[in-house]
Amino acid sequence: MGMCAFAVEYNVLRLAARLDGDVLHVSAPNFTFLNGKPLERLKDGASIAFIAQLTVSSSPNYVVPDARSVARFAVSYDIWEERFSVTKITDRPDQRRTVSHLPGPEAEAWCFNNLAINRSDVPTDKPFYLQLDLRVEDPRDQAGVIGETGISIARMVEIFSRPVREKQVHWLLNSGPVRVEDLRKGMRF
Amino acid sequence: MHVHVPGAALLVATIGFGATILAGPASADQSLARSLAESNVNQQYVVESVSISGVEFSRYRDSRLSSGLRRRLAGLVGAPCDMAAIGDLSAKIRSTLHLQDVREHLSRGSSPERVRVDFEIVHKDYSFDLSVPRFLYDSDQGWTTELNASARAHQQSIEVGLGSNGDDLVERFTGFSTRYADSHVFSDRIGFSIGIEGYHDLWNPATRRAVAAESSLNDSVAGASNSFALYRTRRNIAPAVTFALSRELSVSVGASFERMGMEAPSPSGGEMSMSANVATADVNFGYSVEDGTDLQRWDGRYGLRLATRELGSDYVYSRQYLSVRYEWKSGRRIVSDRMIAGMITGHAPLFERFALGNSSTLPGWNRYAIDPLGGDRMAHDTVSCGYQFQQGTAEAFYDAGIVGDGDRLGTLRHSVGLGFRQSIFNIAMAFPVYQGRIAPVFMAGMNY
Repeated sequence: MGMCAFAVEYNVLRLAARLDGDVLHVSAPNFTFLNGKPLERLKDGASIAFIAQLTVSSSPNYVVPDARSVARFAVSYDIWEERFSVTKITDRPDQRRTVSHLPGPEAEAWCFNNLAINRSDVPTDKPFYLQLDLRVEDPRDQAGVIGETGISIARMVEIFSRPVREKQVHWLLNSGPVRVEDLRKGMRF
Repeated sequence: MHVHVPGAALLVATIGFGATILAGPASADQSLARSLAESNVNQQYVVESVSISGVEFSRYRDSRLSSGLRRRLAGLVGAPCDMAAIGDLSAKIRSTLHLQDVREHLSRGSSPERVRVDFEIVHKDYSFDLSVPRFLYDSDQGWTTELNASARAHQQSIEVGLGSNGDDLVERFTGFSTRYADSHVFSDRIGFSIGIEGYHDLWNPATRRAVAAESSLNDSVAGASNSFALYRTRRNIAPAVTFALSRELSVSVGASFERMGMEAPSPSGGEMSMSANVATADVNFGYSVEDGTDLQRWDGRYGLRLATRELGSDYVYSRQYLSVRYEWKSGRRIVSDRMIAGMITGHAPLFERFALGNSSTLPGWNRYAIDPLGGDRMAHDTVSCGYQFQQGTAEAFYDAGIVGDGDRLGTLRHSVGLGFRQSIFNIAMAFPVYQGRIAPVFMAGMNY
């Protein structure tokens, strides 16, 4: 299993990507989302839902991306252990995955690892751009996310097609242009 | 796991699902909150105690917090920490107490595996409201309307109102009212308020005729002619202190200094004014019991107004008023009964006298036909049965009441009616029960 990596500066945030076999993973070493007001709420015992969308596109100003991965993570904070627990809520309830007893950076890394795109969906003949849109879920966006079959991916896609709501905590990380070949070679940008 | 939506399919997904999946079932949203709560790592702990802004909930004093809500709070103690239930209760407290926000805080309990829950309440520090607290059209007795502006900063509030009321008293009074209130004097259990009012009064011709007749009859009775003296204006200053004895019971004591500009001139030919200065006491009681879908509520009020020469009053009298209301709500059905009674001894001015035959007592009856001067004895009862349809409530009501003076009590009168109530808006058709004929009266308005 080959593994390559690249990293691109976007403002002060670094979005890094690596090919892990046939899957494209991302990470953001200098970025944390378990801080500020969301962290305050977590330390008060609340659960917070983060919704994330990773897109691959041929242009930085895409209308329709070439590929995307969307996920919803429910994060909580153990007030006795002072560790985080993360559950990835999937479109099938029986596929729900949970990790617990994690410090903040590891909980964040677990979320990134669960946002992946198949290598076959990434353009091989031209440069592409990556974008990570991460938001604290707004309660108004919750309507219809869960249907009879579980979490509605289509509903989540629809949420990301809308601008961020006022006061909604969110982050946008970009990188590119990069090539699959560069990822294979392990080049840094 | 990853989800891949190809570009072409995305457009379809965005457009197509936007219309269909967006409108998920209401229960789905609840299940979303539930799924979040079920993933909360703190559900492994048992709730040790529940408090509201640091005060153990059973000691938290606010009569608006119903016994049903308190029972639900008590139900958290000893159970696994359920953040969905805690979130529901938080929203319920916020709406019940009209707060800006309620924030839930978990903290470590006295031993591992135990947690404490605190609902931190966030009051609105400043608020301003412009409202129409009352608006009524009665096809027999015309319009009654009030417009209020209120501002609140922390525990202090001030309210200014303008209005014309042809419904409550034997006179139509039009003017302004202002009220300053401080709900925290040394403690949350003691409040202070002062009201200032000024009205111009208009008299129905039936009342004028009755006053003329009474005056000629009572010229020889000291004080009696004063009772029926008509006035053009009223000015009132009414300070009061309220003690919250418990969540359910409060007592107010105060005074009312009312000065009237009389229609009749003074013996010297100038303008004449008279005072009705009274000491006041009010006892208010409110209690509700919630049991599943059943809600029972009792409300009671006793009021005493005592006017003496020592207070500088030209009138000497006592006025007692009692009101008791019971409501039972089960699912969509609502049944209520409200009984009021009043008694005046001595010689009170006309605005103190009891009138039946308005929007809330014997609806459909014309109070000038019942007694154009009102009475110093009164008893009334109204029973209503309602059924909720979506946002509104359809109801049928039956009223019976009697009003009179001393041992000259009038006839026991009845009225029935049908109405529809949605939020604060009411519409009703009332049928006073005459002998042998029906004369329906239409009423529409808000908060009557």
